[in-house]
Amino acid sequence: MDTRILSIEDLSIEYSNVRGKVKAVRDVKLDLYKGENLALIGESGSGKTTLGTAIIRLLPHSGYIKKGKIIYMGNGKEYNIAQFSETELRQFRWKEIAMVFQSALNSFNPVLKVWDQIFDTAKAHGLNNRAIVREKAIDVLRFVQLDPERVINSYPHELSGGMRQRVLIALSLFLEPKILILDEPTTALDILTQRNIIELLRIIKEDMGLSMIFISHDLSLAAELADRVATMYAGAIVELGNVNDIFYHPRHPYTLGLIKAVPTVSSSFRELYSIPGSPPDLINFIPGCKFYPRCEYKIKDCEMTEPILVEVEPRHFVACLRYKEIADGR
Amino acid sequence: MSLKHILKSIFIEPLALISRDKAGLIGFIILVGILFMSFIGPYFVKLDTEVKLDKIYQFPSREHILGTDNQGRDIFSQIVNGGKDVIIVAFLAGLISTLIAVTLGSLSAYAGGITDTIIMFITEIILTIPQFPLLAVLAAFIRLTNPTMLALIIGFLGWPALARAIRAQVLSIRERDYIEAARVLDLGRAHIIFSEILPNMLSYIVISFIMAMTGAVYSQVGLIILGLVPFYGHNWGLMIQLAWTRGAIFYKGSIFYILSPIIAIALFQWSAITFTRSLEGIFNPRLRTGE
Amino acid sequence: MSRFKRIASNYIFIRVVRALLTVFIVATLTFFIVRLMPGNPVEIYIGQLISQYGMSFQDAKNAAAALFSLDLDAPLFEQYLHYMRNLSRGDFGVSFLSQGTPVSTMIVAYLPWTIFSVGISILISFSLGIILGMIAAYRRGGFFDLITSTIAAILSAIPNYLIGILLLIIIGVQLGLIPVSAMRGTVSPGITPGFTWTFIKDIFSHALLPILTYVISTIGGWILSMKSSTLNTLGEDYVTVAKARGLSEMRIIFSYVGRNAILPLFTSLTMQMGFLMGGSALIESIFVYKGIGWALGASISQRDYPVMQAVFLIITVAVIVANFIADSFYSKLDPRIKVGGEQ
Repeated sequence: MDTRILSIEDLSIEYSNVRGKVKAVRDVKLDLYKGENLALIGESGSGKTTLGTAIIRLLPHSGYIKKGKIIYMGNGKEYNIAQFSETELRQFRWKEIAMVFQSALNSFNPVLKVWDQIFDTAKAHGLNNRAIVREKAIDVLRFVQLDPERVINSYPHELSGGMRQRVLIALSLFLEPKILILDEPTTALDILTQRNIIELLRIIKEDMGLSMIFISHDLSLAAELADRVATMYAGAIVELGNVNDIFYHPRHPYTLGLIKAVPTVSSSFRELYSIPGSPPDLINFIPGCKFYPRCEYKIKDCEMTEPILVEVEPRHFVACLRYKEIADGR
Repeated sequence: MSLKHILKSIFIEPLALISRDKAGLIGFIILVGILFMSFIGPYFVKLDTEVKLDKIYQFPSREHILGTDNQGRDIFSQIVNGGKDVIIVAFLAGLISTLIAVTLGSLSAYAGGITDTIIMFITEIILTIPQFPLLAVLAAFIRLTNPTMLALIIGFLGWPALARAIRAQVLSIRERDYIEAARVLDLGRAHIIFSEILPNMLSYIVISFIMAMTGAVYSQVGLIILGLVPFYGHNWGLMIQLAWTRGAIFYKGSIFYILSPIIAIALFQWSAITFTRSLEGIFNPRLRTGE
Repeated sequence: MSRFKRIASNYIFIRVVRALLTVFIVATLTFFIVRLMPGNPVEIYIGQLISQYGMSFQDAKNAAAALFSLDLDAPLFEQYLHYMRNLSRGDFGVSFLSQGTPVSTMIVAYLPWTIFSVGISILISFSLGIILGMIAAYRRGGFFDLITSTIAAILSAIPNYLIGILLLIIIGVQLGLIPVSAMRGTVSPGITPGFTWTFIKDIFSHALLPILTYVISTIGGWILSMKSSTLNTLGEDYVTVAKARGLSEMRIIFSYVGRNAILPLFTSLTMQMGFLMGGSALIESIFVYKGIGWALGASISQRDYPVMQAVFLIITVAVIVANFIADSFYSKLDPRIKVGGEQ
């Protein structure tokens, strides 16, 4: 039975730049299933944020979808988001798919009260009754463990960073979307607040039936909350599998490197590891595997042949020529 | 660094940078052109003071490129000779304003505390008083007898606006990381001010100076038109004042007499401002002004 | 927090105190300039009376005292107090030239016209300017932007009084569209004031050229700064989030971009009011529009010192009041400004 809710097919996204075309996302194929949490992990420039924002077509001016489809399966029908008109997008956004941006510090209009911004959102989707909206707002704010009365009448600058992040999460749940995309939800927050937000996200995962996509460079977030993990490099998915497979038997050198690079509480200073080299040039690509210059497992073939995703065990895909030889990390 | 290298960085590179912004380039060319005309031109084009009553208010001809005024004198020569006084006084006044503003502004920002409060308080007071009426009243009281006095009072009233901006700049630079680094490395206050802060301010100071100069032109010409600057010899502002008091504005034939100085002044202001704007773009590669 | 502290840290309170303080300082300065400077008007007047009318020193002094509302025999400080007391009662002395006319009457007659013309001009210029600026920002790089920004840059560089003269020449003389000499003054003779259409039409036609001058000379600045501010605001996160929330384009333009982009422009608003009031001295003189600026110009050229000093003071006070109003308005618009001392 097809429990997919989102299906991305052959998606390629580019940005126009004075130096040329930045190929930020290349031929990505990815499915999201109902009720699952998917983590998109990668460093800056890997294309994960571009992919995330493209799902709701919120690319900046210079970005555009070069080819591919973004199929959303909801309400018994299939829609290609990539072909939505402006009007369709406006109705679709936030109602079916909502996005929580990186650190809510500046996500709210400074001159409007929180209530006005909630009501704005409700009105934009046809909910005009103040009383109903107010009740719903209070419910959802309480759900994220905030004091509704206090928050609703405040201006954004009167709330702390952590509170604003919660309000943004609450707002994202307001219209009961089917998919929630979170871009670096815990970056730029202090450790305690991070923990609180992660707990909140865990509760959301357990209580509500929605699917979530986490975009992050932070592996620990994936480990805590994700069901499946996809690692991205140079605009393509290099490994995709469920969270246990990825963490316990990673098959791609990049994933391996990412895991090794996370310092543990018990590791010593000398054991700190970082992936050598620097991020790739997204305008002028080298032929072959894009990770080649930084890879510890490279062989001659890697230089000219770009690997494609191969299913190495049930529902675990890797794009590497040497996946068979790569031992179980650690 | 070789001589070639030095010459290149003084002349070629700035020119290359300026020409990237087309408007700025045009402004620069026109500004240089006007300066050239006003300071070097007079050696070639002598001021026509001969009264020729049979040639009043003539239209432009090959002999008189811009026509003649109400006493038959050539307008073009008046324009060529009319910029020098105005520009020199504006330059002096701008210099005075900028010097005071930089000193007080950076002192205020760097010292902080009571010094800052007092200086800013005085600045606020002077800023609130409308500048031109104050100048006019002062010019009426103190009978101005020479250009230096004029430059002085304009300069002394023009610094508050700049001082506030300079203070804001210094404050923002002061908080930057490389200043922290210098302080941590214990490089000394004087060194920090002169070798770290001021060089970064240089561009801002130059821009402030040019803006002060355009403000001084505004005040100066305004005072001249009101007849409050009696000592001046011939200049653009005086041409406008004479045209106004002699009713040349209301006479159809005298249009070149009144238009020429107006266009000259407007061109000077516009070219200076446009050039300054492109400087902002050059010195601040982020191409966004403000903090 | 103690009640006193709460009141003292109130934003509005501070502004009021600062405004009053500035007025006080300017009034004091004016007094001392008049009395103490070499060649101060009082001495000059006395000298004039003695040489022209052959008055004795004492008689001349008395006449001067009456004219300037000063007691010249009393110690300086007492004269100062006397002056301040008169000021607070609205007594500005008597005009030199129109013997016997109290300056306060003149001020009441002229000031409203300047406030009228400058006020309307700022309203028009600001409103039009921010709209055009926002459009230029939204259509950045396009034809509209190019034309608008270029014209704006050119207009803002030309001194406003020169624009006035140009308007006079082009519209009045060369094109003959407006009967310039008939347009002198603020109102045509013989028309009774009141809310009649005739009256309103008349004052607007007289104020047309000054208003046009103010608007043309200031709109460029508004367009350019609003364009820049809007571009900045468009890059803010909350605008992206607003789009993600599915808000309509109109709502975003007005309440998210517009309302935030306007805020930085308010400091310029206060500066511009002062600048225009100052420039009115020249512009009203050019059009012979009998407002307070014209009065200043006329009193300066006629060396009518009591009027000069009073008008100068009034212009400054008007600017301070206008600034105060603009500031209060601004604090209402931006909730981040702390109005009270609570929290």
